[in-house]
Amino acid sequence: MSETVRSIGFAPGTAAIWAAMFFGLASIAVYVKAWRLQAAGAPAADYDAAVGFGRRLYAAYATAIVLASALLMRLLMSHDFRLSYVASYSGRDLPSYYLFSTFWAGQEGSFMLWLFFGALIGLVVWRTAKEQEPAVMVVYLASFLGIVGILCKQPPFRFLEKVPFDGQGLNPLLQDPWMVIHPPVMFAGFASLSVPFAFAIAALWTKRWDGWVVRAMPWALFTFLTLGTAILMGGYWAYKTLGWGGYWAWDPVENTSLVPWLATVALVHGMYLQKAREKHRKINVILAILAYCCILYGTFLTRSGVLADFSVHSFIDLGITGWLVGIILVFLVGGLGLLAFRWKEIPVAPEIDPATGKEKEEAFLSRSVLFILSVTLICASATVILLGTSAPILTRVTGKPSQVATEFYNITHAPVAMLIGLLMALVPFLSWRGETGRDVVRKAFAAFAIGLLGGGVAFAAGVRGVKDLLLIGFAIMGCAANVESVILFVRRRAIASVGGYLAHVGVSIMLVGILISGAYERKQQVTLLRGAPTQVGRNTMTFVRSVFVTEEGDVKKLEELDRSRLADRRAKQAMEVEVASPRGKVWKAYPKLYMNERTQQMMANPDVRSTVMMDLYLSPQSYAPGSPMRVEGTRLPLKQGEEKAVDGVRFQLRAVVMDRSELNANPPRVTLNAKMLVTPPGAKPLAQTAKMVITMGANEQTESSASDTAIPGTAGRYRILRAAGADSLEIEVLGLNPAGDVRSATTESFSVDITTKPLISLVWAGFYVMMAGGLVALLRRGRDARAASMA
Amino acid sequence: MKKAYWLGAAVLLGFLVLGLSTFSKSMTPYVSFSEAKTSKRTVQVMGALEKGTSRYDIATKTLHFNLVDPQTKDVFPVIYTDVKPANFEDAVSIVAIGKYQADGFRAEKLLVKCPSKYQGEEVEKQYGNKA
Repeated sequence: MSETVRSIGFAPGTAAIWAAMFFGLASIAVYVKAWRLQAAGAPAADYDAAVGFGRRLYAAYATAIVLASALLMRLLMSHDFRLSYVASYSGRDLPSYYLFSTFWAGQEGSFMLWLFFGALIGLVVWRTAKEQEPAVMVVYLASFLGIVGILCKQPPFRFLEKVPFDGQGLNPLLQDPWMVIHPPVMFAGFASLSVPFAFAIAALWTKRWDGWVVRAMPWALFTFLTLGTAILMGGYWAYKTLGWGGYWAWDPVENTSLVPWLATVALVHGMYLQKAREKHRKINVILAILAYCCILYGTFLTRSGVLADFSVHSFIDLGITGWLVGIILVFLVGGLGLLAFRWKEIPVAPEIDPATGKEKEEAFLSRSVLFILSVTLICASATVILLGTSAPILTRVTGKPSQVATEFYNITHAPVAMLIGLLMALVPFLSWRGETGRDVVRKAFAAFAIGLLGGGVAFAAGVRGVKDLLLIGFAIMGCAANVESVILFVRRRAIASVGGYLAHVGVSIMLVGILISGAYERKQQVTLLRGAPTQVGRNTMTFVRSVFVTEEGDVKKLEELDRSRLADRRAKQAMEVEVASPRGKVWKAYPKLYMNERTQQMMANPDVRSTVMMDLYLSPQSYAPGSPMRVEGTRLPLKQGEEKAVDGVRFQLRAVVMDRSELNANPPRVTLNAKMLVTPPGAKPLAQTAKMVITMGANEQTESSASDTAIPGTAGRYRILRAAGADSLEIEVLGLNPAGDVRSATTESFSVDITTKPLISLVWAGFYVMMAGGLVALLRRGRDARAASMA
Repeated sequence: MKKAYWLGAAVLLGFLVLGLSTFSKSMTPYVSFSEAKTSKRTVQVMGALEKGTSRYDIATKTLHFNLVDPQTKDVFPVIYTDVKPANFEDAVSIVAIGKYQADGFRAEKLLVKCPSKYQGEEVEKQYGNKA
């Protein structure tokens, strides 16, 4: 490891990373000085000079990061296999868009991507921070320098001793359009979450409690959009490409991005609350700190190897675990410590009731209470997921690291989803100041009726279970109530204000989709014989043939593939299945099942036929090419002392004796002597020795050859098939009953998992609506922030 | 105001209680082979595939194989009734999650770890890193 650390590799790249570290630290130092000048009330000219210098240093930092990224990208694009990173994650035979995505295929590159977005976002942040600029920029930069430190320790520019001709190639699972865009969107979201964090810490530091929310809110919304989109893209990829059968598996990798997203959702709501009420200040500071720390913690979980035995993903220990733990502790302890230090100073701004002269409480049926409850609920959900994901670490202290079954998440989230549905249904009917119960009932009546109707329809369609019906009822009521508000605002030409309502409409639709597609899916495993129509559910399926699908989507036979074309070289073997629906529609599905030639691993991609009502999901499991008629003996596993009979001949294994006298020969040989007692029908037991010679070749490969031993008095013979331990082996008996040795032909067959998923389209549709709402809110809050920074 | 916070706290507490009680119930600890044989709950065991012991019956979709403990060399037979995972034979280590029953350890889920060729370490091992 220490050798790797010292290795400089591609000098300009490593230098750029170190330069970024230097300029970053320098910018922090100058900004700290600027803050001191500001606090001491120094002349404006001095302060402006210091801030200007800090900005120039930040610009130098950002340039260095962009330069390092550009260099890495260039080295990847030009196949410079001197670099360990290039040789590990890319190869010559990659189309340019996948070559582009090898940038973030490895850990170092994805950290680089994170820094890249952070560097660019910072250039906007200093323009909006105004008088908070020194404090904000210090924290903002600090939040990235830990990662720069990791890259200084482990630069992606390391050289190899020998230069390979070609790289290892990109993991075939990542060779998917979704995986080209998923990581950049994800890291853009990670990077922008540093902004609310920086503003929150700056607020604590400089004791300016309210202004920061307006300026940080667009960035929280930006994370809401990007991280949310990235999570869904990951789920869609798992569904369409990995063939998990679903879009969500509660895998640690998924959870560690879901938790920061939930924290961001809570933060957005908290910020909205503080902006509207000019109180509830502590919530947002806490949420901003925790949301950022969740991202660091997620990075720690997925990159330190602590979860290696608990996930289908492979995690490797980069040797940065200590660093990551250190960074988390600094920000978590530092942030919460500062909060505790300032706790008493944060103004609570109580409202005094003029009539009684006492502190007025928020009305119970008010938006304030609703927002506090929803923030709590979202936090509860995030906490529970975090708890489940961390189980292997938490239980390590007991000596028996364990993980939780996925039902844990499903059980705990049924009530969360239900309550969130209810709260969303109530939001449009409550004002900040509060309502009387009677008013709420009157206003909500129409939406309630629609929800009841929706529940009834669901019941008629076969949904059973009180929990399911309640959730569907609440979600449909929420959908109706929020649609009503959206229409109202659009009529008033206040489209900018519909963001929140629109997002809630989306979430309601998603909730229904998630519940129905999950709880009412039907899964069936079938083995289709070639050419034989098989009834599967309501459809008839016929396995037609095994074909190849090129990257351009053309279906070809093996002999039709043109090896000179990249799209044909990258063709995947697929199974052509003809599906006929009961309504007489006929189409062909192409679930893919192919061997990755580089890794010699079988890969499977499902075929999904989507309609609005239902997805038909064909997930390939195995393919048997079939075999012609052949002759094969009867296999007989024997343990020492055990006796078994085949066609009247009894075989007993008395002992296994290994002859190791030729172990030093070239090549080394071992002879296995099976001391057998063979009893032909009507004859006396006969002692025989069957032999098998095991020759050891290079690379621990062994070859064995066994000679036949005749069975006296019969036409039969037998031989050792394989050794299965020190005192057991398997023999093959041939010729005793020649007809019995004939193995009939097997048919070409294809085993496939067939799943129907009702209304899964609602998950995607609801997501688009939610994101549209988020986008409207982002535009509105972005305008507010710009106005605030001009003021 | 206080009321809202109290209600929020109650909700949070309620979920934490639900979470923690479900947590301990849905726990699947890693145990040794001998512990797995006596445990009545769902557990996970890890080991390497003992070469040549896997048998798959397509008709009943039943996979039989032995796990072997890399340290103690203990052998542990596992029965898995589902489609045989891809790359099963290449696995460097297998995690079986299931319960010990009358006829042996019945796995509900298998996590198959294959030697990944997409990690920098492998390349550096092969081509060396320049110090």
